[in-house]
Amino acid sequence: MTDQALGRAGARAPALPLRTAARRRADWRRRRLVLFLMSPWIVGFTVFFGYPLVMSAYLSFNHYDLLSPPRWVGWANYHYLLRVDPQTWIAVRNTLWIIVFAVPLQVMFAFGIAVLLARAKSGGGFFRTVFYLPALAPPVAATLGFVYILNPATGPVNTILGWFGIEGPLWFQSPHWSKPALVGLGLWGVGNTMVIFLAAVLDVPQHLYESAELDGAGAFQRLRWVTLPIVSPVLLFAVVLGVIQGLQYFTQAYVAASIASGQASQAGDTLNALGYPEDSTLFYPVLLYQHGFNDFQMGYASAMAMLLLVVSFAVTLVIVVNSRKWVHQAAPR
Amino acid sequence: MTATAARAPATVVRRRPPPQVRRRRFLLAVAQHSLLIVGAIAFLAPFVFITLTALMTTNQALSADLWPHPFRFRNFIDVFTTAPLWRWTLNTMLYSCLATIGVIVSSVPVAYALARIRWRGRNAAFVIVLIALMLPPQVSVVPLYVMWAKLHLVGTLWPLIIPNWFGDAFSIFLLRQFFLTIPEDYLDAARVDGCGELRILFTVVTRLAKPAIAAVALFSFLYTFNDFFLPLLYVGEASHNWVLSIGLAQFRSLHQVQWNLTMAATLLVMLPVIILFFLAQRAFVEGVTLTGVKG
Amino acid sequence: MRKRTAAAVVLIAALVVAAAAAARNVHGTAPARNAAPTKLTVWAGWSAGHELKVFKSVVAEYDKKHPEVTINVVGGIDDNKIVAAIRSGTAPDVVSSFNSYNVGNYCGTGGWIDLAPLMKKDHIDASMFPPAPRYYTQYQGKRCALPLLADDYGLYYNKKLFKAAGITRPPHTLSELAADAKKLTVRDKSGKISVAGFDPVVGFYENTPDRWIQAYGAKWLDAKGNSAIGSDPGWAKWAKWMKSLIDWYGYDKLVRFQAQPIDEFTPSQAFETGKLAMNFDGEWRVAFIHNEHPDLDYGTAPMPVDDAHPELYGSGYINGTIIGIPRGVKHEDQAWALVKYLTTADHPLAVLSNGLRNVPTTQSSLTSKEIVPDKHFSTFLKIFAHAKSGTSPILASGQAYTNSVQRFFQQWQAGKVKDLQAGLKNLAKQLDAQVAQAKGGGGVP
Repeated sequence: MTDQALGRAGARAPALPLRTAARRRADWRRRRLVLFLMSPWIVGFTVFFGYPLVMSAYLSFNHYDLLSPPRWVGWANYHYLLRVDPQTWIAVRNTLWIIVFAVPLQVMFAFGIAVLLARAKSGGGFFRTVFYLPALAPPVAATLGFVYILNPATGPVNTILGWFGIEGPLWFQSPHWSKPALVGLGLWGVGNTMVIFLAAVLDVPQHLYESAELDGAGAFQRLRWVTLPIVSPVLLFAVVLGVIQGLQYFTQAYVAASIASGQASQAGDTLNALGYPEDSTLFYPVLLYQHGFNDFQMGYASAMAMLLLVVSFAVTLVIVVNSRKWVHQAAPR
Repeated sequence: MTATAARAPATVVRRRPPPQVRRRRFLLAVAQHSLLIVGAIAFLAPFVFITLTALMTTNQALSADLWPHPFRFRNFIDVFTTAPLWRWTLNTMLYSCLATIGVIVSSVPVAYALARIRWRGRNAAFVIVLIALMLPPQVSVVPLYVMWAKLHLVGTLWPLIIPNWFGDAFSIFLLRQFFLTIPEDYLDAARVDGCGELRILFTVVTRLAKPAIAAVALFSFLYTFNDFFLPLLYVGEASHNWVLSIGLAQFRSLHQVQWNLTMAATLLVMLPVIILFFLAQRAFVEGVTLTGVKG
Repeated sequence: MRKRTAAAVVLIAALVVAAAAAARNVHGTAPARNAAPTKLTVWAGWSAGHELKVFKSVVAEYDKKHPEVTINVVGGIDDNKIVAAIRSGTAPDVVSSFNSYNVGNYCGTGGWIDLAPLMKKDHIDASMFPPAPRYYTQYQGKRCALPLLADDYGLYYNKKLFKAAGITRPPHTLSELAADAKKLTVRDKSGKISVAGFDPVVGFYENTPDRWIQAYGAKWLDAKGNSAIGSDPGWAKWAKWMKSLIDWYGYDKLVRFQAQPIDEFTPSQAFETGKLAMNFDGEWRVAFIHNEHPDLDYGTAPMPVDDAHPELYGSGYINGTIIGIPRGVKHEDQAWALVKYLTTADHPLAVLSNGLRNVPTTQSSLTSKEIVPDKHFSTFLKIFAHAKSGTSPILASGQAYTNSVQRFFQQWQAGKVKDLQAGLKNLAKQLDAQVAQAKGGGGVP
C-alpha cells in the first residue's frame, strides 16, 4: 500500500474512514491535473489527427474538388485507383523499392561508418563531423546540389568520370538511374543514423571484446558475434524509422523530378514533371499530391490516403510484432 | 570515447602480441583509415562542387569546367537581389521559432503526465502517441487542407504553426523517455517540501530536463526549417509567404540558367543549420543519443 | 416665442432630412471619385524577360486612364496556384492561364464565373472571336473565360544550316522532315549529337501529342464522344513516324543532347544557339529571337504534315492564353471592365501582339493597323486563319487527359510499349474512365 502514486502532498497514514474520503479527493485532483496536462495533446490529436482520419475515410467515397460540394460516388474512387489508374501500381512499386533497397542499404552503410569511426583512434572527431555534416543540409538544398552535380552533360561527376574514359550515366534523366541517384542522396545524408550507431557501438563493454579475442576471434568475427547482437535493437529502431520515412518519401523526389525535367517557369506547359523521367521517381505520396492538389481530385486522393493508412499500419504492426524475433535480447537494460 | 570497463586485475597478462598479429592489426588499421579517408572525400566532395559552382560566372556554371575562372564572390550578394531571400528567411524564422516554442510548451506537460503520474489509460495513451508518430502525414492531409481552406487560412503560415501548439508526437516521446530517468527521490523531496504537482513540473523537472528540452527544441527547429511538403501545400501559391525550402526549389525555375546563383542560394540555405550545429554541438549529440540508444 | 422655436425646429429638421437625402443620392449615383481607388490584383502566367514587362505596360496604360483603380500584376502564375487560391477563397480579381485544358473544370464548377450575363449587358457577342479561341474558352455553354491572345505552332528552320546542307526549301511533308533532319544532324567523334536536325522527343520543348496530331488531322473524340485514340489511324501513324526518327538518333543520345543547359525560355535555347537546325515551336519564339539573337538567319513555315494529307499543309495547332474572373471576387464590375478592355479593344491586343508576338484574338484586331508587320510572324497569322487549323478538346477531366496521353507516348518513345495498337486502345479506355470519373461527382452539372 504505497502512497507513491502521486498528487498527494501530505498525509501518509491517516485513520481509515478519513483516508477513503481524502483518497477520493486526491484521486479527483490527480485526474484533474492529468486532464489539464494532457489537454493540448487531446485537443490536438482530435482536431489534427482523429478528425482528418475520419474525414479522409468519408471523402474517399465522394468526388470532391473543393470548388463544389462533395458528391457521393461509392466505391468508384477505389475502383479507379486499384483497377484503372496505370500509375497506382507504379507508385506502389517505387515506394516499395525505396523501402526494400534504400533502407537496409542506409542502415548498413551507417553501421559500417560507425564501426570504422569507433575503431579509429586518431582524427575520430574530425571524421565524425565530416560524415555528419551532410545530414544537416536541408533536403531541398541537398537535392538541388545533387541534381546539379549529377547533370549528365556538364556536371562534375560525369566530367570526372570522363577523365577515366567512362561515359557517365544519365542520372536523374534516366529512368534506370534516377532512383539509384536518390539512394545516393540518401546515403550522403546518413549522418544522424550514423551518430546513433556510433554511440551504441561505443557502449559495447570492452571486456566482451577482450574475452572474444582471447578465444581467438578475429576482427570481423568480433564484429559479427559481439558488436552486432548487442547493437541490434538500435539497428532495428533505425530500420523502423527508415521504413516510416520511406512511406512518406516526397520532398527529394518532387524537387529532383521538377528540376531535372527542366520544368522551368512559363507554366504554359502542362507537361507532367512529377515522376520524371517516365514515372521512375513517382512515389506514392507524390502521386497522392498530384491527384489531390493538381488534378482537382480530393476525393480520389483521400482514397489513396486510406490505402496508405492500411499499408502503413500493417507494416508497423509486422515490424513491432516481429521485433522480438529479430533482436538479440542481450544484457538487461 | 566512452569509458571502457575497468580492467580485470593482473590475472590477465597483456603480453606483447606476436609480429604476425601486430602486422595484421597494422594492415587492418591502414585499411580502415583509407576507407575513412575515401569516405570523407566522397562526403565532402558535393560541398566542394557546390561551392566552386557558386563562385563561377553564369556561363562557366553551364560548362563542364570544374574550377572557377575568375572567382565571382559577388554571386552571394547577387542572390539577394535576384530573389527575396530575406523575406523567405524571415518567414522561415517565424514558422520555426513559433512552432518550436509551441512544441515545447505543449509537449512537456503531456510527457510529464505520461511519465511521472500514474493514471488509468496512461499506457494506452502512450501507444496512441506512438501510432500518431508512425503514420505518414499524407493520410490526413486532404481533410486538414479542406479545414484550413474553409477558415481562409490557406496561403498563410498559420496552418503550419498552429498544430505545433497542441503537442508533437516525437517530442512527447523523447521527453517521456527522459522524464522516466528522473529519480523519484527528487520529486518526493519537492513534494515533502509542500510543492504542488504543477510547481514541481515547472521548477524542478524543467530544470532537470534542460538538456532534453534543448534537444527537443533543436529537433523541432531543424524539422520545421527543413519542412517542404506542408509549406508547399499551404503557402505554395502565396509567394510573399514562401519559406526558404519553397523559395529555393522555385529559384531554379525563376532563374533557369543561372546555376551559379542557384548553388550560391543553396549554400546560403545550408549555412544557418551548419552554424547552429557548431554552436550547439553538445545538444545535437545528446539529443541524437536520446532518440537512439535509450529508445 | 414657442411658435418661432417650433418653426426653427421644423426648418432645421427639414434641412437635415434634405441634406441626408442629398448625401445618399451623391453616394448612390456618382462614382466614388473622391474615395480611395479600388485595388485590383491580376494574375498572369508570363514571367520571362520581356513578356511580363509588355503585359505590365499595357495594364499600366489602362491604370493611368482609370484613376479609380490601381492594378497590381503578379506574374509566373500556373494553374495549380489558381486552383489553390480559388479553393482557399484568396483568389485575385482577374486570373489568366496559358492554356485551356482546365476550362472544363473552371466553368463546370463555377470556379471562374460565367461571363455571359456580363457580356450580354455590354453587348459583346462571342462571334467577335475567331472559332478556335471561341471554342476553348467555354464548356457546355458556360463561357467562363475570354481569349487573351492565341498561340499557334509552326516550323522554325535555320537558313544558314540549310544552305550548308544544300536544302533549298523547308519540308512540307513529314517524310521530307525526317530526311532533312538526318541530313542536318552533325555528330562529334564520340557519337554524341552536336547539332540535331530535329528533335521529335515528346516532352522536349513544345513537343506534345496534342500539338503534333494536327499534322495528321486525327480526331480526339468519335461521334459518340468517346476517345478515338484507339480507333483513328492517325495516332498510330504519328507514333510510328516519331519513333523511327528517334531510333535513328538513338533515344539515349537524344536524352543526353537534351540534358545540356539549353533551357527553353532562356537565350541558350537550342534553336537560337544553332544546336538545333529545325524546331517545332510557337509563334512567340519570333519575339524571343528578336530580343535575344537578332542576327540569327532563320525562316518560319507551317508545320510539315502527313504525306497522305497534303491538304492539311498550312494549318496548325491553336491554343492560347485565357483570362477570367474567379469566384468570390470583390470588385466584379472593375474586374470585368479590365477584362473587357484587354480582350475586346484593338489597342491593347495590338500592343500585346507586337510585344509578345502572340496572335490577337478578335477579328478586328487581327487586321488592326497598329500591328507591326514581320515576315516571320506573318507565317503564324496565316496558320491561325487557316480553315483546317484546330485545337484540343475541352474535357471534364481537365488537364489530366493531356498528362495521360503524354505519359503514354513518352513510354512508347522509350521503347517500353510492345504492342502499339493495344496500348492505344487501352489509353482510350483510360481516358474515357477519367472523364466518367470527373463527371460522376462534383465537376460538371
